[in-house]
Amino acid sequence: MNNLSVHFEGVSKVYPHFTLDDLSLELPTGTVMGLIGANGAGKSTTIRILMGLVHQDQGQVHVLGREMPREQAVAKLDIGFVSEDMRLYGSATLAWHMKFVRSLYPQWDQSYADTLLRRFDLKPQQKMKGLSHGQRVKAALLLALARRPRLLVLDEPTTGLDPVARQEVLGELMAVLVDEDRTILFSSHNTSDVEQISDQITFIDRGRIIASDDKEIFLDRWRRLRLVLSPDADLPSLPGVVEVGGSKRLPVLVTNRFDPAMVSACNDAGATVQAVDPMTLEEIFVANVHSRREKQTV
Amino acid sequence: MNYAIVKRLVLKDWYLQRWAILASLAGVVATLGIIATGGKVAFLLGLILLIMVIISIGAQMAVATIVTERKEQTLPFVMSLPISYREYTASKIWGNLLIFLVPWLTMVLGSFGLLLWSPSSRGLLPYAVIMSTEILLSTCLILAVALITESQGWAVAAIMVGNLAVNGIGYVVAHIGGIAKGMWGPTIQWSGAASAVLLAEVTTVALLLGGTFFVQSRKKDFL
Repeated sequence: MNNLSVHFEGVSKVYPHFTLDDLSLELPTGTVMGLIGANGAGKSTTIRILMGLVHQDQGQVHVLGREMPREQAVAKLDIGFVSEDMRLYGSATLAWHMKFVRSLYPQWDQSYADTLLRRFDLKPQQKMKGLSHGQRVKAALLLALARRPRLLVLDEPTTGLDPVARQEVLGELMAVLVDEDRTILFSSHNTSDVEQISDQITFIDRGRIIASDDKEIFLDRWRRLRLVLSPDADLPSLPGVVEVGGSKRLPVLVTNRFDPAMVSACNDAGATVQAVDPMTLEEIFVANVHSRREKQTV
Repeated sequence: MNYAIVKRLVLKDWYLQRWAILASLAGVVATLGIIATGGKVAFLLGLILLIMVIISIGAQMAVATIVTERKEQTLPFVMSLPISYREYTASKIWGNLLIFLVPWLTMVLGSFGLLLWSPSSRGLLPYAVIMSTEILLSTCLILAVALITESQGWAVAAIMVGNLAVNGIGYVVAHIGGIAKGMWGPTIQWSGAASAVLLAEVTTVALLLGGTFFVQSRKKDFL
């Protein structure tokens, strides 16, 4: 477990109208994991359990080798946390917030904080209540990054940001990745943001992890196949088909185990492969969710 | 318990509430000034204003530092810092009590000084001690409810109950034989009844604060 920054094992949390069910998750040190899920899928609950702010009903959670929530105070010395619903004190300035956070973190890096101030175009003497949403997110990110955390936990940080602010935030996160020991857990329902910076992807839906793998494996294995069937041919049996659409003569298959050999297998079965389309992470996520939900209803 | 962190959090609340603390202090000094001018009307008016200022600052602090912290979503920021629930609870209890003690002690010292200064009203001192402690108890009740529920509605209900308790207990205590007897005399007559009421108040304060720690330590969801 030493090379794991985050380790969830059989974690459950039951609310009256939502259950996080038997969640197991491993985040190796130095990786960037994107946690993708629809609104209400369980991303924030997972992150709150990770931070020790919500107690799991069952299961074990270790973060940076610390047992959560029991050792949360020590663990949080090395965690930078920014969430979409996090606000700073409106009546205080950014300079005051920086001084306050610096007093709690011995590893605070003032020169990096100054660099971020310039890069994010933030003014230390400005009060928080006068900042735009984008500036507030950048200020929170500055306070999290300048403490030089070993683990950065970001819960929907780009939600509600304009395109320019979003790119600035993502750009800074990518700059942070230069440090190979830095681990990031990034949750979002915006797959394009996650795709830009993550090297591992975890899909969560209705309180369950439905898939977790390297981003490249997802992008390599998921394909949409457009076929043309001859009138007397049946739909060929292919591995990993999760969705069948289109018409009887022109079926469209989605597979999560694509192999180039599939094309010749289709031809042998009397089906012509018109196109093999790569899929975006969003398409993969949606197909994954639909496939799991259909299995649950059967 | 990391007391250095607790201290930082207490100082944070002190800084953020500095203007309210100064305003309450000015209010207490002004009302004491009204009482000091002498006369029955000035005494009654000053006393009512003094109690109002003290109760208001206790309630305002609990709402501003606890309920508003959740409402304005600054709680996730605080809880992202290297603290546990126990340290958060300790910082809120200590922070609020220390902030409250500034105007409260000013009121206690000022009003006791005025009572001792005027020979004819010295008999009121035991009653003043009991009522000052009752105001402290009322503030602890508001603080406990605000911390445990983090709800504006419940905090307002606690403010109302605390206010009624101050008035109700003030009336009841003024009619307890051992206390009422020497209340309007020139000498201080500390009775067994006064000791019993004071002990009950101090015990309730301890139970409220201890109970708050206990309930907070059993909480499973902090955000």
